[in-house]
Amino acid sequence: MSPSSRPTAVALLISLAVTGSLCLWAVVAAPDSVRTALAWGAGATAVVLSAAVAVAVQARANAGRLRARLASETQRFTGEISRLVSASAAEGQRFTAETARIKSAAAAETARLRSAVEAETARLTAQAAAETERLTAETERLRARATRSETERSAAVAACANAAGRMQALATSMLADLRDMEHRHSAEDVLGDLLHLDHRTAQAGRLADSIAVLTGARSGRRWAKPIVMESILRGAMGRISGYQRVRLHSTSDVAVAGHAAEGVMHALAELLDNAANFSPPTAEVHVYVEEVPAGIVLTVEDSGLVMSDVQLRRAERAVSATDQDLTGLSGTRLGLAVVGRLARKHGLTVSFRPSARGGTGALMMLPQELLTRAPVPAPEPARPVSEPEPTHGTAPAGTGTAAVAPDARRPQHAPATAGPATPAPADSTPADSPAAETTGHLPRFGESGLPKRPRGRTLAAAEARAHAHGDGDGAATPRPRTSDPKEQAARFSSFRQAVRPNTPHPEEGNTR
Amino acid sequence: MTRPRRPGRDDDPDRLYTLTGGRSRSDSDAFDLVTLVVSECEPTPGMQSEHVTILRMCQLPTAVVEIAAGLGLPVSIVRIMLSDLLDTGRISARHPRTARVADRLPDPEILEQVLVGLRNL
Repeated sequence: MSPSSRPTAVALLISLAVTGSLCLWAVVAAPDSVRTALAWGAGATAVVLSAAVAVAVQARANAGRLRARLASETQRFTGEISRLVSASAAEGQRFTAETARIKSAAAAETARLRSAVEAETARLTAQAAAETERLTAETERLRARATRSETERSAAVAACANAAGRMQALATSMLADLRDMEHRHSAEDVLGDLLHLDHRTAQAGRLADSIAVLTGARSGRRWAKPIVMESILRGAMGRISGYQRVRLHSTSDVAVAGHAAEGVMHALAELLDNAANFSPPTAEVHVYVEEVPAGIVLTVEDSGLVMSDVQLRRAERAVSATDQDLTGLSGTRLGLAVVGRLARKHGLTVSFRPSARGGTGALMMLPQELLTRAPVPAPEPARPVSEPEPTHGTAPAGTGTAAVAPDARRPQHAPATAGPATPAPADSTPADSPAAETTGHLPRFGESGLPKRPRGRTLAAAEARAHAHGDGDGAATPRPRTSDPKEQAARFSSFRQAVRPNTPHPEEGNTR
Repeated sequence: MTRPRRPGRDDDPDRLYTLTGGRSRSDSDAFDLVTLVVSECEPTPGMQSEHVTILRMCQLPTAVVEIAAGLGLPVSIVRIMLSDLLDTGRISARHPRTARVADRLPDPEILEQVLVGLRNL
């Protein structure tokens, strides 16, 4: 029996007892006539009353229990709510605190980083400044060094150029001396030695010329007259050691202008030297001369080593007119660099190709500007060798015409020399004229096979041309000075015309 | 006015050894200073210009020394070139008959008389 039902049971029992006893009393007390009814009624009333009391007691107990429960629940709720509120408050406080902490930490970190960055920046700035300073110092040092080495270089080059120029002068004067001696000593032994020395000196002179060209010194000697092609070829050939292996094939009568002749000879000598050095010691080197509309092509062909494509290209580059610094210069291979310099100076075109002879062919083209036809031979009446120098005024009549002859003859002469069958313009000169038929009156031929003009004749011719009237040989007969400025100017201009193109001042000769 | 070529003047670029291919003595002794040289043919194209000149000069008999003077070259060099030409048959050389000339020298007495006569002039 549950504790909540116990009061109910008690109340039930008590009410049953009370009412039972009351009923019993009533029954007892009541007359017999109503006793039975009363007993039933009283008994029923007692039971109902007892049940009502029990129910009331039960209900009351239930109500009290429920109220207590409600109260406890309410209290529990309140406690829970207050706990939650306090917890949330604590949480909020904690959150705020955390936020503040993080904020401060962030601020601290930011400050730290900022200071670190500043420090780093400062350090880098300082370092950069130091580096800049160091680099500036280094640059300064290097600049000083570069300046010094440039100065040294130019001084060395200037010294080399100077020395080369003196070597050139020395070689030239030695060659002149040797030629003089070769004419004086007729003994064959002596002559042989002199020729040997001559050859050696010519090679030394070529070396000096090479150095002079590379160092940019003035070029070697300047020839006072156009040099015919045969002499150009022989002059070039005479400057190399293996000249006896060189074979010349030239029928050209073209001459190279005096100012360029030395350069052309030198360049050709270098090409010949290359060809001779890079071919077997017994192989011949052939030189061909070909006239083309643009000028003259000189071909040097050897039968030695075939140059590969790379070597050909390298050689072409070495002689090309653009690459002109000294950095690529090696000590032993000066030749092509020299050729390149000379080619640029005189407008020559040099190229290489495999040769049909099995070796390498070098082509050098001389532009038309460098070329002149061989100077037109004045049909100079020959003089006996021992005859003292005649002047125009005292010469026979033939000399007088010869003075003006070059200009008159030039147009007729040019087509005559163009033919291949006339190797030397002397063909068209009246070599069979009466003057030439006696041995005592031979025309004077140069080594080129051409009758030679005496120095100064061009001047006389120009004078005669300028004053087309009958001054006769104006150069030889001094004329009275005129005070007319026009005439003086004309005279001066004719003097310049006469001096410039072909013949320098007679006294200058072929000085360098 | 100077002569066109003074012997020994160095105004030509070609050196003497290039004219003779380096030889300094002639193989033959057919030439002395007075040997007369006559050309046997005309110069041909492509010939060395000195040879051309020699052939042209020697259309009439010419002495070696004259050729040398005309070329302005030493006699030795000219002799070498003449030897070359002789070997190829382009010239012929004839020596003046000096021996027989010596035989035919006039009587010394006549010469003396001539000398006296010349002095008396």
